[in-house]
Amino acid sequence: MSLISPLLFLILVPLVAAGFIMLGLHARKTALVAAIANLVFTGVLLFNYSIATGGYQFESSMPMPVIAGLGIFFTLGADGLSLLLLLLTAIVTLAAVVVTRTPEKNGSWFYACLLFISAGGMGAFASIDLFFFYMFHELALIPTFLLIGIWGTGDRQAAAWKATIYLALGSFILLLGLIGLFLMQPDGMRTFDLRQIILMSENGYLPQGHWVYLLLLLGFGILVSLFPFHTWAPQAYASAPPPAAMLHAGVLKKFGLYGLLRIAAPIFPESIAAFSNLLLIALVGNILYVGYVTIAQRKLDTMLGYSSVMHMGYIFLGFAAMTNLSLTGAALMLFAHGLSIAALFALSGELRERTGTLDFAELGGLGKQMPKFGLLFGFAAFAAIGLPGFVGFAGELLIFFGSFVAGVPTMMSIEGREIFRLNNFQIATFCAVWGVVISAVYMLRAYRKIFFGPMNDRWAGLSDIAGSPRFAIVSLIVIMLLTGFLPQLLIKLIQTASI
Amino acid sequence: MPTLAHYLLVSGGLFSIGLLGVLLRRNILIIFMGLELMLNAANLSIVAFSRFNLHGGMPGYNEQVLVFFVITVAAAEVAVGLAIIVALFRAKQTIHVEDLDALKF
Amino acid sequence: MSTLTAPWIILSAPLAAAVLILLFGRFSRPLSAGLAIGSAAIGCVLSWWLFVQPDPAVSLQFPWIVMEDLVVPIGVTIDGLSKVMLVVVTTIATLVFTYSLGYMRTEEGYWRYFAGLALFLFSMLGIVLADNFVMMFIFWELVGLSSYILIGHYFKKDSAADACKQAFIVNRVGDFGFLLGILFLWAGTGTLMFSELTTTGIAEFAANPFYLAVACVLIFCGTVGKSAQMPLHVWLPNSMEGPTPVSSLLHAATMVAAGVYMLARIFPILESAPAAMDVIAWVGGITCFAAALMATQQDDIKRILAYSTISQLGYMVLGIASASTADVSMFHLFTHAFFKCLLFLCAGSVIVGMHHEQNIWKMGALKNKMPFTFLATLAGGLALAGCPFFSGYYSKDLIIAWAVVNHPFLGWLSVITAGLTAFYTFRLIFVVFLGKPKSEHAMHAHESPAVMVIPLGLLAVAAVIAGYPFIESRFFHVLEPTHVPHVLHPVLLVLFAAGVLGAYLLYGRAEKDPVSIPFFANRLYIDNLYAWMVKYVQDGGAAVLSWADRWVVDLFIVQVPSKLTWATGFVLRFLQIGNIQAYTFFFGAGVVGILYLMIFR
Repeated sequence: MSLISPLLFLILVPLVAAGFIMLGLHARKTALVAAIANLVFTGVLLFNYSIATGGYQFESSMPMPVIAGLGIFFTLGADGLSLLLLLLTAIVTLAAVVVTRTPEKNGSWFYACLLFISAGGMGAFASIDLFFFYMFHELALIPTFLLIGIWGTGDRQAAAWKATIYLALGSFILLLGLIGLFLMQPDGMRTFDLRQIILMSENGYLPQGHWVYLLLLLGFGILVSLFPFHTWAPQAYASAPPPAAMLHAGVLKKFGLYGLLRIAAPIFPESIAAFSNLLLIALVGNILYVGYVTIAQRKLDTMLGYSSVMHMGYIFLGFAAMTNLSLTGAALMLFAHGLSIAALFALSGELRERTGTLDFAELGGLGKQMPKFGLLFGFAAFAAIGLPGFVGFAGELLIFFGSFVAGVPTMMSIEGREIFRLNNFQIATFCAVWGVVISAVYMLRAYRKIFFGPMNDRWAGLSDIAGSPRFAIVSLIVIMLLTGFLPQLLIKLIQTASI
Repeated sequence: MPTLAHYLLVSGGLFSIGLLGVLLRRNILIIFMGLELMLNAANLSIVAFSRFNLHGGMPGYNEQVLVFFVITVAAAEVAVGLAIIVALFRAKQTIHVEDLDALKF
Repeated sequence: MSTLTAPWIILSAPLAAAVLILLFGRFSRPLSAGLAIGSAAIGCVLSWWLFVQPDPAVSLQFPWIVMEDLVVPIGVTIDGLSKVMLVVVTTIATLVFTYSLGYMRTEEGYWRYFAGLALFLFSMLGIVLADNFVMMFIFWELVGLSSYILIGHYFKKDSAADACKQAFIVNRVGDFGFLLGILFLWAGTGTLMFSELTTTGIAEFAANPFYLAVACVLIFCGTVGKSAQMPLHVWLPNSMEGPTPVSSLLHAATMVAAGVYMLARIFPILESAPAAMDVIAWVGGITCFAAALMATQQDDIKRILAYSTISQLGYMVLGIASASTADVSMFHLFTHAFFKCLLFLCAGSVIVGMHHEQNIWKMGALKNKMPFTFLATLAGGLALAGCPFFSGYYSKDLIIAWAVVNHPFLGWLSVITAGLTAFYTFRLIFVVFLGKPKSEHAMHAHESPAVMVIPLGLLAVAAVIAGYPFIESRFFHVLEPTHVPHVLHPVLLVLFAAGVLGAYLLYGRAEKDPVSIPFFANRLYIDNLYAWMVKYVQDGGAAVLSWADRWVVDLFIVQVPSKLTWATGFVLRFLQIGNIQAYTFFFGAGVVGILYLMIFR
C-alpha cells in the first residue's frame, strides 16, 4: 500500500485547476484542459485495471494524525464499479464544461464551481474510507448551491435553498447512519475503512442494525430523491444552469445509490430484506406516481427533472431486489442514466439559449428549422426511455430479470389446486415495466410538441446546433450506443466489485 | 482574629451588592461598577482560601497568581467595556439600558 | 460464403446502409437510395440462395449479456420458418424500395426516408433471425422505432406527428406484456433460447399449466400490439399518415406480420397451453370480424386497406390458434404479404396519379386513365377477396376450414367475414376505377412511371400464383383438417359472389355512399373511447397527481416542516424582551439551576 494513489490526481487536477482559475487564469481553457486531462487519466486507469484480479486496485492510505484515533484514514482505491462512476464523472464533467456558455457575471467562478463538483464526485467515488466518501460529497454540494443560486433561472433562490436544505438534511441523516455504523462495531476495532467493515460483517462481528440501515436508506434516499422526498429535484434542475443540472443529475445524484450499493448491500442484507416492502412502495411511487406527474408537465426542464426522479425508481428496484443480476443492472443504470440525462439537459439548455422558453405550448415544428438538433434530441430521448441499442436498455433488462426472480416464489391454492402467486418483487417489476410505457408517453409527447407539427413563425431564424456543444452531445450518444452494443464489457467491469 | 468565615462573609456581601447592582440599576456605568465589585469579591475569597489552606505551612501561591490574572483581565475588560459604552453613548445619546432595546422583538 | 456467414451479411448490410445514409445521405439523393436498395438487394439474393441450401447444423453466436442464468446471445436461427420469412421480407423490401424511387422523387427528407427504410429492414431481419426472446424483443422495439420514424415522415402535419407517437406508444403497451411474458418464461425455465424452450423448456411447466398459460397470453400481448389485434389495433389505420410505400412494406406486408411470425416461432409452447390458445383464437376471430365491419364504411383508400390488413392478421392469429401447425398461418402470411403489398402500392400509384387525393369519393373511372394500376388492383383484390385460382383463396380457406373444425363459432364468424371481405374490396374497386369521375383530379389522372409500375407487375404475378400448390409445397408443409363440413367451400364461393354482386349493386354507379352506418364508419367508437381515456383518465389523472405533488406531497414534506420551524422561532422570539438585566437574570437563574442539579442530585 503506497502513500499516494494515481486516483489522487483525479481529485487534485480539478481542484488545482479551480485554484488557478480563481487566481486569474483563462477560465474556459483551464477548465477544458483539466477536464480533458481527467478523462484521459481515467481512461488510462481503466486500461490498467486488471479485471482478472478484480477488487480494489490503485490503493493508497494516508494517516490523518488528528483523527486517526477515530480510525479515519485518507484511503483511496477503485474497483470496477468505482471506475465506472469515475469514468461517468470524467465524461459528464467534460461535456458540462464544453457546453457551458461563459456567463457574463463572474464567469470564471462558474467554471471553478463546476470543477469543484467534479473533484467532489471523483473523491467520493474513489474513497474507501467512509469519512472521506461523505466529505467529498459535501464538498460538491456547496458549489451546486452556488451554481443554482447565482447563475440559475426562474425562482432560483427558492430552488437553491430548497435543494440545499433537503440535501443537507439528507446528508445529516446519512452522517448519523455512518456514525451508527461506526458505533456498531466492536470496541477497539472501530474503523471507517469500508473494506474492514465488510470483513467484520462477513465474519459475524457486526450485529444487524435495522436502525442504522434505515438511517442510511433515508439519508441516501433523500439525496437520490426517493419518493416522497423528491420535490426538490425537478425544481432545482429546472432552475439550475444546464451544466450544473448535468453534473448534479448525471453524477452527484448517483452518490446516494452508489453508497447504498457499496455500504448497505454487503453489510445489511437482512435489514434490506426485512424492509424491502417499504422500499418497494417508495420506488413504485418513484416509477408510477412520479411517472404520471411527469406526463402532466408543460415545460421541458421540469419534465426532464421529474423524469430523472422517475428513473431513480428503476435503480432502487435493482438495489431492493438484491440479486446479483439486479445489482449489476442498477450499476449499469447509474452509468446509463448519467449519460442520457446529461445529454438531455445539455440539449434543453441549448434550446433555451435559442428560444428563451421551454414551454411546450410555445414551441413546435422545430424539426424543420433545426434538423440536427432534432436528430440529436431524438437519440437522447430514445436513450432515456430505454430503447434497445442504448446502454439504458441493458440496465433496465438486467434489473427486470433480476428483480423478477428475487424473493421467494409464493403459491396460493384455489379450489384445492396450487397456483402461483406473484410476490411483491414481481408486482414491483410489473409496475416498473409499465413505467417503460409511461416514459415513452412523456418523452414522445415532449418530442412531438417541440419538434413536430407546424412551426411558429417566431422560430424562423433559429440556428441549428453546431460546434463544440454538438460535439459533446454526439460524443455522449456515441458512448451510450457503444456500451449499449457491448454491455458485457461493463458487466465484467462491475462484477469485479463485491456488491 | 478573623477566620475564613469572616472573609467569606465579606466576600459574599460584596458579591451580592455587585449582583444586585447589575440586576437593578439602569445606568450602564453603575452596572459596570457592580460587575467589578463581583470580580473583586471573587478575588477576595480566592486570596482568603489561599491564606487559610496551608500546604506544608505555606499559603498556596497558585491561587494568588490567579488573582493577578483576574485583575489583569478585569482591567482589559474595563478598557473594552468603557470603550463600547462611549461608542454606545455617541450613537444613542444615552447609557440607560432601558433605552437600548434594538434587539427586542 | 457459407450458410454460417450469409445470415450475418443479410442482417448487417441494412444496418451499414442506415448508418452510412445517416452520415452522408444528406449530400446526395442517389447515394441514399442506392445504399438502401443495394442492401435490400444483397439481402434478397442471399436469402434466396440460403433458401435452397440445407439448414446449417451449427450457428454463430456473440454473447451480448451473459450473467449467471441470464444468457442473451446475439445469434441466428436458420430453419424452414425463418428462411421463408427472410425470402418474403427481403423480396418485398427490394420491390418497395425500388418503388419508393418513383413515389418519393419529389418529396423532402429523402435521406431520412431511406435511412428509416434501411433501419426497418435491419430490425425486421433481426426479428426473423433471432434465436432467443430477448434478441427478438430488441429488434421488436427497433421495428417500432423505425415505424415511428417512417410514419412521422411528414412530421410537419399534425396528424402524422400524432399518428407516429400513437403507434409507438400503443406498441409499447403491447411490449409491456411481451416483456413480462418473457420474464415469466425465463423464470420458469431459466433459458431464453427458442430451441431450448420449444423442446425441453415446456416440460418444466407440466406441473403448472396455469403459469404457462399466463406466460403465453402475456407474450401474445406483443402480437396484439405489433399485429394490431383488438384492442390495440387503433394505431394501424392512423399509421397510414406515412408515405404509401411505408404503409405497404411495414404496415401491410412485413412488420405487422412479425407478431404472427413470433407466434409461429413459439408454436410448440403455445400448443401445450390450450387455455392461452383459446384467448388467442377469440382475439383473432373477433379482430378479423370487427375490422372487416369497420372497413366497409371507410372513405380513405388507404384506411380501407388498413382495416382489411387488421382483418387478415386476425385470420392469421385465428389460424395459429386453430390449426395443428403454424405453417397454415405462415402460408396466409406469405400470400397476404404479396397481395396486400400489391394493393397498397396500387393505392400509392392511384394517389400519385390523383395528386395526393386519398378519398375514394373524389376518384372514379380511373380504369382507362391507369390501366396497369387497375389490372394490378384487380389481381390483388381478387386474391384478397378469396376468388378461386388467386393466392388468397388457398391460404384463407385453409385457415377458415381449420377454424370451423376446431372453433366452430369463430370459424363461422370468419366465414361471414370472408363475404364482407369480398364486399369491401370490390366496393373500393368499383368506386375508384369504375363509374364516373367524381372530381377534377380524377379526370386528369395519369399512369405512374415505370419504376413504380414494374414492381406492381411483379407483385401482381406473385399475388396470383403465390398460393398454387406447387409453390405452397415448396415453402410449407400444410395439412388439411379432417371432418370439414361439406357445405363450407360452396358457402364460401356463394359468399364471395354475393359480396362482389352486392358491392356492384350498391356501388357500381354510386356518386356518393348510398349506405351510412355511423357505428362502422366511426370504427365502433373504439378510437373515441381511447381518446376519451387518454384525455380524461391518463392526462386528467396526471394533472391531479401533478397538482398533488405540488400541493400535497410538497405540503407535508416541505411546507409543514418549514412552517413548523418558523412557528418555533416565532414563539421563541417572545423571550427576547430586550432588557439586558432580564437576560442577566435568566443567565444567573440558569447557573443556579445547573449548580443545584450538579450538587443536590
